[in-house]
Amino acid sequence: MLALMAILVATCLVYAWGYMISEGLGVAGVMRPSYWGIFLVNTVFWIGISHAGTFISAILRVFKAEFRRPFTRAAELMTTFGLIQAGASIFMHLGRVWLAYWLFPLPNERLLWPNFHSPLMWDLLAITTYVLGSTMYLFLPLIPDLAMARDRSTGWRKTFYKVLALGFRGTEGEWRHLTTAMNIFAFAIIPVMFSVHTIVSWDFAMAMRPGWSSSVFGPYFVLGALHSGMGAVAIVLFIMRATMKHMDYFIRKEHFDALGKLMLIVSMAYAYFFFNDYIVQWYGGDKATDDLLHWLEEGPMAWMFYQLIFFNIILPWLTLWNKKIRQTPWLLAIIGLLINVGMYWERYLIVPVMLTINRMPFTWKLYVPAIEIYLTIGTFATFTLFYMIASRLIPLIPVWEVQEGQMVHTLRKVGKTSVPTVSEFE
Amino acid sequence: MSDTTLLAVFEDIDPAADAIEKLHEMGVTDENINVISGVPVAHKMLGRPHPWTNVSRLAMGGAVAGFFFGLFLNFGTPYLYNVPVGGQYITPVPPGLIIVFEMTMLFALLSTFLGVFLDSFFPNYRPLEYVAEVSDGKIAVFFRCAEADQKKFTDALNKMGAESIKPAEAQQL
Repeated sequence: MLALMAILVATCLVYAWGYMISEGLGVAGVMRPSYWGIFLVNTVFWIGISHAGTFISAILRVFKAEFRRPFTRAAELMTTFGLIQAGASIFMHLGRVWLAYWLFPLPNERLLWPNFHSPLMWDLLAITTYVLGSTMYLFLPLIPDLAMARDRSTGWRKTFYKVLALGFRGTEGEWRHLTTAMNIFAFAIIPVMFSVHTIVSWDFAMAMRPGWSSSVFGPYFVLGALHSGMGAVAIVLFIMRATMKHMDYFIRKEHFDALGKLMLIVSMAYAYFFFNDYIVQWYGGDKATDDLLHWLEEGPMAWMFYQLIFFNIILPWLTLWNKKIRQTPWLLAIIGLLINVGMYWERYLIVPVMLTINRMPFTWKLYVPAIEIYLTIGTFATFTLFYMIASRLIPLIPVWEVQEGQMVHTLRKVGKTSVPTVSEFE
Repeated sequence: MSDTTLLAVFEDIDPAADAIEKLHEMGVTDENINVISGVPVAHKMLGRPHPWTNVSRLAMGGAVAGFFFGLFLNFGTPYLYNVPVGGQYITPVPPGLIIVFEMTMLFALLSTFLGVFLDSFFPNYRPLEYVAEVSDGKIAVFFRCAEADQKKFTDALNKMGAESIKPAEAQQL
C-alpha cells in the first residue's frame, strides 16, 4: 500500500506537475471564463479538511470534552497534512511557481510590493499563520510521547526520537511550560481557524459575481469546512481502528458515537447557512443570479447540486440520529466519505461553475479538467502517504493525554448504578 | 558536609504526595525537590508550589510585537512602496484589520512556541538525571539531602511506599 501511494505520488504529483511546469498552464483545462479550476477547488477542500484538527483538538480541549483524547493527534495530523495539500494546490494554480516569492513583502530593486488590500494577500498571510500555528500545535503535545518512544526504542529510531524529544524528562517545570503553551495555542488557534476559511470565502465573496457576492459566505464556508473535516476524521479513525493493532482499545464505539453527534449538529448548522445563502439569492431577482440558480438546478451540473444537498444534509439527518449507526465505525466512515464527496461538489460548483455562469452569456463554456485530474489524485495520494509514514514514526494516539484522561475518570455510585465522572484536573 | 541527590520512584500519586510531605517534615525545602512524571500532575495534588512559567508573558509580548508589525506592514510599507490604484486609499482601515489580526496571532503563536523552548532549555541533549519508568506511569521524586542523612531518608521513603531509592545519576537520554 505504501509503495502504491509512493508510485501515485511520483506519477500523478511529481511527474504531472513537472510536466505542467515545463509545458505551461495550457495543459490544464482552465480557460476563459473559468480561470480558476480544480486547483482552487482542491485548495478550499483541503483547507476544509484541515479544520477538523483544530476543531477537535482546540475547541474540544477548551471545553474539556473528554472523548476527544484518543483522536486529537489523528485530527491534528489531518490539519497539517491537509494544509500541505492546500498549499501545493495554490502553487499548482500559480503556474510559474518559481515566481511565488513575489507574493511576499520582500524589498527589492523593482519596487514590487504586494497589495495588502487584496483578499489573495490576506489568504497568503492567513494560511501561513495557520500552517505554522497548527504544525507547532501538533508538535508540542507530541514531545512527551516522543520522549516515551525514546525510552523504549533502539538504533536509528532512538536517535530520531531523542533528537525530536529535545531532552524532555517530564519535570514539573517542563509540564507547566508545555501545558501553558498548549492552553494558549488551544485558545489562540480557534480564531485563526475561523479567520482562515472566512478569508478563503472572501476570495469569492468580495467579487460582485452571481453566486459569490454573499455576506454569509464566511460562516457558510467555516461550517462547510467543519462538515468535511468531521467526515474525514470518521474515515481516518475507522481506517486506524481497522488496520492498526490494539486501536479498538483506544478508539471505542462511544468515540464514534460522540463524533457522529458532532457530525449531525454540524450538518444542521451547515443546512441553516446553505439555505440562508440560497434564499437570499433566489429572492433577489437579479437576472444573472436567476440564470445561475436555474443552471444549478436544471443544467448539466444539476446532479452535483442535488448530490451536495443529499450527502451533506439529507443523509446525515436520515442516519445520524440513530445511535446504532453512529456506533458502527464502517457506517460512520461511509457517511463521512459521502459528506466529503458532497462538500467537494459544493466547492466545484462554487469555483468553476459559478465562474462560468457569469453576466456575459456569450462566454459560457463549461470547464473540463485535464491534467488537473492527475494532480488531484496526486494530492490525495500525498495526504495518504504522509499519514502512512506518520503512522510508522509517531504515536497516532496521544498516549500521555489518554493516560491523563484515565487518571481523572472515576466511577461514582448513584442509586443502583455507577456513572462515569470526570474530576477537574487543574 | 557534601550533599547528594536521591531519586525515589513511586507507583502512584498518593504515595508520592505523602513522601513529599514527609520530606518537608524532615527539613527538605521545595527548592531541593523535583518531580518527574509521565503525565502532567497538578502541583496541588503533590502539595508543591505553583511552578513559574514565562510562556504566557512571552506570548503576550509576541502578540504586541505582531500587532505593531501588522500595523507597519499595512499602514507603513505602502508609503515606502507606493502602489496607487485609481479611486482607492493607500492605507484603508478594514483590510488593515485583517493583516493586523493575522500578524498578531502569528507572532503570539510563534513566541509561545519559542517560550517553551526558552523556559525548558530545549533542546537539551546533555546527560540529565532521569528514570525511564516515569513513562510507564510512575512518579519519580528527586531531592537533595546531606550525604550523611542518606540512610535516614531512604528508610523514611521506603516506609512511604517507594519502589526504589537510589542516588540520582545523570545519564544520556
